[in-house]
Amino acid sequence: MISTAAKKEIDQWIKKYPEDWKSSAVMQALKIVQKENNNFLTEELINDVASYLDMPPIAVAEVATFYENFNHKPVGKHVIRFCHTISCMLNGADDLIKYTEKKIGAKVGEVSKDGLVSIKKVECLGACRHAPMFQIDDKYYEDLTKEKIDLILEDLK
Amino acid sequence: MIEIEIDGKKIKAEQGEMLISVTDREGISVPRFCYHKKLSVAASCRMCLVDVEGAPKPQTACSTPAADGMKIHTNNEKAKASQKAVMEFLLINHPLDCPICDQGGECELQDVAMSYGSDVSSFNEGKRIINDKGIGPLIHTDMTRCIHCTRCVRFGQEVAGIMEMGGTGRGDALKIEPFLEEGITSELSGNMIDVCPVGALTSKPFRYELRSWQMNAVKNIARHDLLGSNIYSQTYKGKVKRVVAGDNDDVNETWISDRDRFSYEGINSSNRLLSPRIKVEGQWQDASWDVALDFAIRGLRGNVLKNNQPNQLGALASSNATLEEYFLLQKIMRELGSENIDFRLSEVNTKDQLNLNSNIKIAEIEKADLVLIVGSNPRLEQPMINHRIRKASNNKAKVFSINSKSFDFNYQINQNLISPSKVPNMLASILREAKVKSSNLSSLTDAQNTDETLEIANAIKNSTNPLIVIGEHYKNTKNWSSIVSLINLLAKDTDAGILNISGTGNYFGAILAEFLPGEGGLDANTMIDKQLPAYMLFDVYPSYDSHNAENFVNSLKSEKSFVISFNSFQDDLVEQYSNVILPIASFYETSGSHVNCENKIQSFAAAVKSPGESKPGWKVLKVFADLLELQGFHYTDSTQVTNEVGFQSAKSNKADKEIKIPKSNSLEVIWQSSPYIIDPVLRNAEALQNTNIGKMNIAFMNSKTAKKLKLNDKSVYLNIPVSITDDVSDSCVIIQTNQSTMKRSA
Ligand code: SF4
Ligand code: FES
Ligand code: FES
Repeated sequence: MISTAAKKEIDQWIKKYPEDWKSSAVMQALKIVQKENNNFLTEELINDVASYLDMPPIAVAEVATFYENFNHKPVGKHVIRFCHTISCMLNGADDLIKYTEKKIGAKVGEVSKDGLVSIKKVECLGACRHAPMFQIDDKYYEDLTKEKIDLILEDLK
Repeated sequence: MIEIEIDGKKIKAEQGEMLISVTDREGISVPRFCYHKKLSVAASCRMCLVDVEGAPKPQTACSTPAADGMKIHTNNEKAKASQKAVMEFLLINHPLDCPICDQGGECELQDVAMSYGSDVSSFNEGKRIINDKGIGPLIHTDMTRCIHCTRCVRFGQEVAGIMEMGGTGRGDALKIEPFLEEGITSELSGNMIDVCPVGALTSKPFRYELRSWQMNAVKNIARHDLLGSNIYSQTYKGKVKRVVAGDNDDVNETWISDRDRFSYEGINSSNRLLSPRIKVEGQWQDASWDVALDFAIRGLRGNVLKNNQPNQLGALASSNATLEEYFLLQKIMRELGSENIDFRLSEVNTKDQLNLNSNIKIAEIEKADLVLIVGSNPRLEQPMINHRIRKASNNKAKVFSINSKSFDFNYQINQNLISPSKVPNMLASILREAKVKSSNLSSLTDAQNTDETLEIANAIKNSTNPLIVIGEHYKNTKNWSSIVSLINLLAKDTDAGILNISGTGNYFGAILAEFLPGEGGLDANTMIDKQLPAYMLFDVYPSYDSHNAENFVNSLKSEKSFVISFNSFQDDLVEQYSNVILPIASFYETSGSHVNCENKIQSFAAAVKSPGESKPGWKVLKVFADLLELQGFHYTDSTQVTNEVGFQSAKSNKADKEIKIPKSNSLEVIWQSSPYIIDPVLRNAEALQNTNIGKMNIAFMNSKTAKKLKLNDKSVYLNIPVSITDDVSDSCVIIQTNQSTMKRSA
């Protein structure tokens, strides 16, 4: 179920596009409903967004599964999106991912025991110049090293 | 016209035409996977790379428009190297298990890999595997084999009109799959099997049956709907094993409905009649043709002919016979002197003979700029006609419907919900407001306008190419003849086209062959009620063909009637009232013709021999005529019969009936048979029966009607489970059912 507040917010986005182009609001709509649902989407929510925007559910699912900022199972309070595409990979991302997994006690796709963080591997986030990198919530952390990761994780509350 | 050069050959092309369509026309082979001539260009597989002089990199032939003076190489070193490289990438995740893949031998990937690929791969890592979800009884999936060409996805979006397949995930996690639990529900879904270039989507009923090269492909015509789609029946050792689409741009383009594709299972059922049978002293026994025919003729002579009462003989047929069969049977009847001939068993009221000829070609439907659908859910009833209407809608045509329930249309449509008894009023009001010519329409003066009628009338007035499509829903309601007359007038007065889709099967074949009562003849209902001393029933199964099977059977099983039945399938009810049953060939087993809704006669040959002792109906009828010593039946082949029909045709329309515009709003029950039970072949086709469409059995009504009838969501009305929904008009129950007509009585 999409809440009334969320619908209102989605309507704002629908208004920005020409009349028959409701589906243009799909990214925003997914973002809004995801936020209301502890930061993850369910099949039901995808169906709801589809009927709200008059789209085939599979078309919404395509978008929701393409972009890494949509989650499809419960996540921690903070989400680490670790880039593992070429530049980052060549600069040691794989090692650092393993390091981080150990540090937070959760593997890629899992949530740490205290529910504070979860970790996800994602495709290039466009910061290749400062590879390796990850994103936590809305913030980029670049030129990562093990030491830097220690400090960043310590700050997470 | 421009000139381009391909592989050193000068070729004329249209400016802007994609290179691949030029090479296809010229017979120059360019490999491809995602390109399909009837789908949009995706240019995602990269297999069609060709070298274009002047371009730094090879270009995809499917998305590069031709320009004057272009020089293209499809098989120089550069082109070949690119094609080889792409092929290697495509095979990275594709299993190399052709021997156990159902597509082996008819696989585009296999063919292209053999001709353009390399025999070694540099990929040594593990291949990915996809778990299949299961998408329904018709299509088997092996998604590990999918190469992500997205043809099936585009087919859903662009042709089926419902996007059911999609690509989820990205990169090497991309998966083609449906989102919904129920899988694929489209009535055209089988075409995905045809478009899939690999073994990812294959026919479930055909799974592991045969290799394609073991079968013969016989050109044929599908006989279930009013279109007559062109198909190939693929046969092996005298059995039809699979049906695939044929090409005909005037009819079905390159698509066919699931009904046409999967019905063949029915003719292979164990339910077939294999031998002539006669009833002696109440006991059925098998007989030879000689004995059975002799028995039949003696019965006819004894009951009607010897008393010189040929007009006491009645002939009835279903809507599923061939043109030739209709023609021969009516000719026998007329030679004997009886005009009691009719095929309209499903019509409650045949008194008001309707005259509604389509005056538009199927291929022209998509050119209409306004379509008004009356009493039809064309997606289920005539799927490929619906596809044409959808194309009109995609070309910006305005589409309106006048129905008593809203349906799940797959295009933009303005649906008007209206009680059946108010339809004449609505049409009359539209006619009065929209007409551009001035017929004398005194009976229309009291028609009430509404906002909806004005909107439709205005739209018709403002259109240049309007089309009215009339379907079967109101056929058995009280006002059918008024509706038909109004539509005739509306079309005449607004220069609109008419497309009559109110029948099934070979409905127009029966009309063309004049399988209808002539002067002094009885219509179907009267024939049944009168308990004539003798009947000939051709391909009749009352439990589905008659609108009231109970009455039909009770009447015909009386001692005094001698009944000769021609059937392909065994049937309990037929046995109850018949005295002799002659086994005839079914679909694919006889030559003949189908007449479609634009009156196009399409002839077909037999693809296989009919099983057991059964024989093609036209031959049986011919022998029957000879035994009755009738003149003019010297046919040696069915096309001689077809040609004779041609001479007869060209009937003029009879005068319009008086139009009545009812004031009261009485309850009407509209029975809609599931599209998969309309003929015996379909009823025996197992996979189709297991689909959602095949299983439908619901009586829809709105809450007001339910209250009046004292029903709720758990009740049963006329033996059908009730569903209360507010998209049904007042005073109307719409029943979509796969059940027989046996217990239909209001
Ligand atoms: S299933 Fe077949 S048609 Fe669909 S994307 Fe995969 S290969 Fe193409
Ligand atoms: S590859 Fe990691 S940011 Fe681009
Ligand atoms: S056929 Fe041209 S890219 Fe696929």
